[in-house]
Amino acid sequence: MNLRNEVYKTLGFTYRNFIITKRNFFTLFETLFWPVIGLLSVGLMGAYLNLEENYLAFILIGAVTLSVLQVSQLDVAYVLLFDIWSKSLRYTFVTPISIFNMLFGAWLFGALRGFIAFLILLICSEFLFDLNLLIQPFGVLLFLFGIFLSAMIIGTLTCSLLLIFGYRAEVAAWTLTAIFMLLCGIYYPITLLPSGVREIAYMIPLTHFLEFYRSFYNFPASSDNPALMGFLLSFVLLFFLFLILIWALDRARRKGTITQFSE
Amino acid sequence: MHSIVCEDVWMVYRSMFSEKVALSGVDLKIPKNKIFGLLGPNGAGKTTLISLMATLLRQTKGRIEVLGYDAIKDLKEIRKRINIASGNPNLIWSLTVYENLRYYSLLYGLNDRKVVEQLIKEFELEEFRNVEFNRLSTGNKQKLILARAFVNDPELVFLDEPTKGLDPPVAKRLREKIQSLQKDLGITVVLTTHYMSEAEMLCDRIAFINRGKIVAEGTKEELKRMLKMRDKITIEVDAKVPEMKLDGVFMVERDGNLLSFYVDSAESRLWDLAKEVAKFGRIKNISVKEVDLEDVFNELAK
Repeated sequence: MNLRNEVYKTLGFTYRNFIITKRNFFTLFETLFWPVIGLLSVGLMGAYLNLEENYLAFILIGAVTLSVLQVSQLDVAYVLLFDIWSKSLRYTFVTPISIFNMLFGAWLFGALRGFIAFLILLICSEFLFDLNLLIQPFGVLLFLFGIFLSAMIIGTLTCSLLLIFGYRAEVAAWTLTAIFMLLCGIYYPITLLPSGVREIAYMIPLTHFLEFYRSFYNFPASSDNPALMGFLLSFVLLFFLFLILIWALDRARRKGTITQFSE
Repeated sequence: MHSIVCEDVWMVYRSMFSEKVALSGVDLKIPKNKIFGLLGPNGAGKTTLISLMATLLRQTKGRIEVLGYDAIKDLKEIRKRINIASGNPNLIWSLTVYENLRYYSLLYGLNDRKVVEQLIKEFELEEFRNVEFNRLSTGNKQKLILARAFVNDPELVFLDEPTKGLDPPVAKRLREKIQSLQKDLGITVVLTTHYMSEAEMLCDRIAFINRGKIVAEGTKEELKRMLKMRDKITIEVDAKVPEMKLDGVFMVERDGNLLSFYVDSAESRLWDLAKEVAKFGRIKNISVKEVDLEDVFNELAK
């Protein structure tokens, strides 16, 4: 394996997502408009309810996470969706790329978009709600990395579903984040969730990353080291999801899904 | 030496409630550095076979060897050396001509902008270099699809109905381009087409596929010989001629009072045929021509 070739193959997907984002108004909207709207509406609700600073931080962290996660994971899901929408999937899969080149290249750009969205939300929360979301800069960087890993998890799951169920699974690109956030305690602690659902929430890395960030504002976490727990769960989940994706791709070759998507 | 060897290849599309056999026991050898045509009626299995050889599908049974590599185990090695262009010109809409070519060259692990510029020039796309794909005319889209197929300097190119839907002059130019590129680069081209004139002009060898099976394979001349169809004698009479059986006549087509006889040799059969037909009416016109690929196709597609 030639490492330089692999880097170019990976950057090919970063390049494509960059050009499409630059040229399409709706992808710019995803990065700028919806995250700010989300933060504003939740922040104003907090102001109306006259929440203390740490409670305001609690719900704003939920709003920020939802936006950053959605923006970053969409790029991973788009890596297949752009080809499916333009019916050009066969031209991508006839090249000597691996599914990892695809996912990683798209994820890099998704992380960049997510980082930009995060910076905008950081500035907005400081200026509009007088709330400093950067009280532990290194911790925040760790949290962001965790969110980007969660974006890879959701994006990989979406890609697998697309290859298995075809066009019907498109909807996963926009709904999975909301489902994950609902389970992981977007605006509430997961202790509020009913038993059974709560156990599922503990298995999702995002729960621990949210608890990690919120612990900067003195909210208790369900484990001693939520960041470590989040990263461990992320790597285990990613390992299994990559296996599922490889299987889904092989299945798509046997079932003719790739050629169907190109007609 | 062969570019592609298919041995007892089966492709069965299975879903929860149904099963469709697209290919049933295909055996085929495609020689190196030639243009090989794959012809057949709609739904015969051409695109399935080409997609299998291009590693986009995985066969249910059998063995496919592409450029000496196994199509199941050595995907990457094959994909480095092949490329494909389809008659449905679909690439990422919002990428320009340059960006599309650059993007695909990166996917081959190549970062040479000169190659991209060269392809733009070679396929006469300079004027449209910065035009987004969805704003190109169908002809220029097809040129870009073809240019893309040469981005990795392939040894083997699959062209799936490359001139479908194009105006005749544009189609003619593209055919000439394919022919000159194949000659200059010494590559193998596997081509599917519905246009018999295209196959006649481009292909060194041809395989006919029907209902998932290869029914005939050879050069144009070999195929005609195989069916013993050499000449077509067309006779126009002023009366209805009943069914008749004559030596050396393999097929008769009727269009009103116009009768077309496919024979092994016009020279030796024409006189007897004319005498026989004249028994039923006055002959108004007789023409003789060599059987073309379309006639062979029609016979094999039956």
